[in-house]
Amino acid sequence: MSRHKLVKNLDLDDEFDTFNGGNDYDYDGEETSEAKKIKVLPLYLSSPPIQKLIVAEHMRQGTIKVREILPPTVANITDKQIQDSLWHYYYDVEKTVNYLLTTYSATDKKTSKKAVGKKAQGGLVFFGQCSDDGRRACDENFNSAGDLYSSGRTSTYCSNSSQFAPFFNDCPWFNIPADRKTVFVPPLRPRGGLLGGSSGGPPKMSKLQALAAARKKKAQEQRSSGNTGVEKPLSDLKVKDDADDDVPMAGASAEKSELPPKASSRGFPLRKRKDSNEHQKAPRAAPVPKDQPIKPPLPEDTPTVDQAQPSAFASTMFSSTSTPRQPTDNLFTLPYVANFTSTTTNPFAGPSPDDIVIAAQSKAAGKGGKGPPKTNGEKRADQIAGGVEAMKLDDTPRAKRHVDAGKSTLMGRLLYDLKVVDQRTIDRYRKEAEKMGKSSFALAWVLDQGSEERARGVTIDIATNKFETEKTSFTILDAPGHRDFIPNMIAGASQADFAVLVIDASTGSFESGLKGQTKEHALLVRSMGVQRLIIVVNKLDTVDWSEERFTEISTQVSAFLTAAGFLSKNITFIPCSGLHGDNIVRRSTEAAASWYTGPILVEELDNSQPASRALSKPFRLTIGDIFRGGVQNPLSVSGRIESGSIQMGDALLAQPSTEKCFIKAVEVDQEPVDWAVAGQNVTIHLSGIEEQYLKIGDVLCSPSNPIQNIKQFTAKVLAFEFLTPMQIDVHRGRLHTPGRIKEIVAVLDKHSGAVVGKKKPRVVKPGLVARVVVELEMAVPLEAPARVVLRSNGETVAAGLLE
Amino acid sequence: MTDRRRINGPSGGTSTPIYSSYLAKDPKDLPERPTRTRPPNVLRKMFLKTGVTPSASGSAYLELEASKIPTSNAPGLSSLSTSGLKLTCTVHGPRPLPKSAPFSPHIILTTHVKYAPFATRKRRGYLRDASERDLGVHLETALRGVIIGDRWPKSGVEVIITILEGEEDQWWGDDIGRGATSAAEWGMMSVLSGCITVASAAIADAGIDCVDVVAGGVAAVVRSGNGGKAPSPTLVLDPVPSEHKDIIAACIVGYLPARDEITDLWVKGEIGHDSQSGNSIQSSSYEELADNAVQAALGSHRVLVAALRETADVKIGRL
Repeated sequence: MSRHKLVKNLDLDDEFDTFNGGNDYDYDGEETSEAKKIKVLPLYLSSPPIQKLIVAEHMRQGTIKVREILPPTVANITDKQIQDSLWHYYYDVEKTVNYLLTTYSATDKKTSKKAVGKKAQGGLVFFGQCSDDGRRACDENFNSAGDLYSSGRTSTYCSNSSQFAPFFNDCPWFNIPADRKTVFVPPLRPRGGLLGGSSGGPPKMSKLQALAAARKKKAQEQRSSGNTGVEKPLSDLKVKDDADDDVPMAGASAEKSELPPKASSRGFPLRKRKDSNEHQKAPRAAPVPKDQPIKPPLPEDTPTVDQAQPSAFASTMFSSTSTPRQPTDNLFTLPYVANFTSTTTNPFAGPSPDDIVIAAQSKAAGKGGKGPPKTNGEKRADQIAGGVEAMKLDDTPRAKRHVDAGKSTLMGRLLYDLKVVDQRTIDRYRKEAEKMGKSSFALAWVLDQGSEERARGVTIDIATNKFETEKTSFTILDAPGHRDFIPNMIAGASQADFAVLVIDASTGSFESGLKGQTKEHALLVRSMGVQRLIIVVNKLDTVDWSEERFTEISTQVSAFLTAAGFLSKNITFIPCSGLHGDNIVRRSTEAAASWYTGPILVEELDNSQPASRALSKPFRLTIGDIFRGGVQNPLSVSGRIESGSIQMGDALLAQPSTEKCFIKAVEVDQEPVDWAVAGQNVTIHLSGIEEQYLKIGDVLCSPSNPIQNIKQFTAKVLAFEFLTPMQIDVHRGRLHTPGRIKEIVAVLDKHSGAVVGKKKPRVVKPGLVARVVVELEMAVPLEAPARVVLRSNGETVAAGLLE
Repeated sequence: MTDRRRINGPSGGTSTPIYSSYLAKDPKDLPERPTRTRPPNVLRKMFLKTGVTPSASGSAYLELEASKIPTSNAPGLSSLSTSGLKLTCTVHGPRPLPKSAPFSPHIILTTHVKYAPFATRKRRGYLRDASERDLGVHLETALRGVIIGDRWPKSGVEVIITILEGEEDQWWGDDIGRGATSAAEWGMMSVLSGCITVASAAIADAGIDCVDVVAGGVAAVVRSGNGGKAPSPTLVLDPVPSEHKDIIAACIVGYLPARDEITDLWVKGEIGHDSQSGNSIQSSSYEELADNAVQAALGSHRVLVAALRETADVKIGRL
């Protein structure tokens, strides 16, 4: 059956019957008993008298409440009036008060002129007393544009009434009080007058216009003499306003009298125009006596400033006299009426959702407590605050002899034991390493982050990390040991203060290593200017912590190192096991290792003295890396400051491109800082330079003392291989460039530096010191006393010092 | 980058041709450089008015009177008349930052200074050039120290200044090859000073909390001798570049009188190099230059305060 039929068949009477009947029953729920029905009846019967009583009681209470709220200025309102309005508003006290205030305070003004004088105060009283709703409405009114003007009310009335919606809220549908009716104002016409004519003075009126104006004026006068009760207070107000104006407004009254009379019928006081005259009239501050005597060309007194008349342009733009500028002043939020701005119209009132979330987070974080990292940060800050001189920032590169000596593992262990790397990360690495079948590499992966490094199990590029002991903070530069990546090792060594040389103690490895990279590394490190060396004899656990093995290695290595130019007091040997962590951060617990009582690695690191820095020299930094440091910093470089200092905003010169740039921000260890000094590894965010002008190995320097680009230099080098006039690669830190040995000037004595043998030898034997002239293929920024390494065909042939 | 949304005039701009008949042979008839009629320590009269743009939170208009043309026999071309400075400034805000913006614990101040295309003798482009951006940065520096930014977290305020009529960088006569051409952008100094003052008025008009109103002032060392004798450098306040043949150095400060602080300082030019020529130049050190700029700033501060007081009077009178 379709719905239509259903509706057709519906017996309306029936339906309504049940509905009405059901009403009574449902009212009491399911158990509709006869007794209850009977109880209901008397209630119905007695309701009229009770209702009357209730009404009377409501009325009485309402009247009292309204009386309480009403300000004393409208005390002349009778009870009858209050009750009438209460009845009208269904005992809504607030609306009643609103209505009464608007109605009778307006009437009040008409009779009492004093009230007009105090109108600003009256408004304030009102705000203080009305409820929150009312205040909001009022404020909205204040803050909104001047739609109120269109309703043609007095300004006082406007300030007390509300915006459109609340405005009509209390308005009855019929019998609208006369004072709430709007007065329609004829639209403003452009000021009359004839076109053309002289530019100065008011436009001339045509005869017809003059006649019309005269008629209008007459009619106006007639009307104002028979004014209605509503309009009268308004004209009073207006006159009063004029009278209230004090000196600065004096110009306005004259202007007002010139207004066409129709303006007064608009029902609200005209907003007084600020005209140019006021500038002249504003009190001028007394000249401030000048505290400093000025040289003869300048007279003694201070400059006096006059406010000028607006130019023709300004007066045209800003002093059109006929249109009131309504909205602007309502949009202003004045600082001294803070109450007004802090209400709902203020978008910033109250904590924003973000604030709440942040507050909650900070509270939670405080509870959770992240103790250790925080104290670290504080300690770090203290150190830096201690001043440039006391700065203890040491960099340890680990130059190791042989691949798989365990450098990365040792450093990973160091970081892990010092809690720089957490257990979870290590576990993850361990799992991943097991998957690749290299479970012993897990710790090395802390520093070997690249996928190729992990796959091959060797360090390829320099990795940096930092850690802190109780005394000092360190930056690790994990340099590759493999011969294929010696340039990277040179870059690492050039940034280091001291080196940790890791030697594999396992049988056979040491011997092969000493012949291989260990020697080259030691020589390179020495020629890069690293003075101090900590030799870690690693993997001692594989030889059961044999003291003989350790002594054997120590003797051989120290003999070699002393020959290479290291002072024996600058060399320390430590036996340890990177994989197990013995003698690194904790002393070894192995019984077999109890023979060793010297300092462990961390203690030895702490003992190292910070190198002196070239703080007062001009700024130099070799770019180690160029990257995009985020959206805000499209171009960032990192590297170690070799000398000098920088701060935010400094100008820098990039060499060899000779491009100027500016420091936008400086970061040290991922923390933004204002300045940085020599010895720190910094990230500099640059501005004012394109990426094409920078490449890795370039030098940033101070523009006042720029580093020069040179194509040829003389250097004193220690030869590792036979040196002849040949093609070479010159390495200096990250910078490397092809060139050739142009000339071998002389062979020098190793210690005294005096010329030995004949001049201009054709070849230099390995192990000899020689002075050579090197010519480069292109100009690069180099200056004495830079340390350079000369390589040829993938082998280091010489290292030395620029002269 | 070119602006593709508008049909632009020629990028270089053209100036009205001056025909040789205008360039009289008789030196008496030559147009004369305007001369400074004020004493060296008197500023130009300033007209300042707030609340000129209804749609902005705060706005102000500032103008400096044009200097008088000394003789009336100058060619009657409007392009040769001297001009004053006319700036209008609007302040929008404080208003919430867009959602995409990162959290900021204080107000983000953005300044935007633009010459109207017709503001200077040489026509300006529609996009801001380097000097305009420079002015914007200086203005931001000057205002940043004044606004109490912490009261408005996560909000931004934009200060936008349009230069309706810019100060000239040099006398137009120099443009057409009369006299030395040593035009640095001296007009920028006066413009920046005006920008600071007008922006300060507009910010006060917008009701943004400030520690004080900052006023701009300019002082300069000029060499304005005429003819024979060696011109001696003098210190003047509020220099008009077209009135002086040779400006040696100029200094502009943004000054807070109530706190005796300087929020922005910009010195252009070199003094002290020819110190052997006489002790008068030596006497005008950079410090003295800055001191005098502060005096000039005090002068414009007085106008600023008077204008603000007038606005406040009007507002309170209405309430």
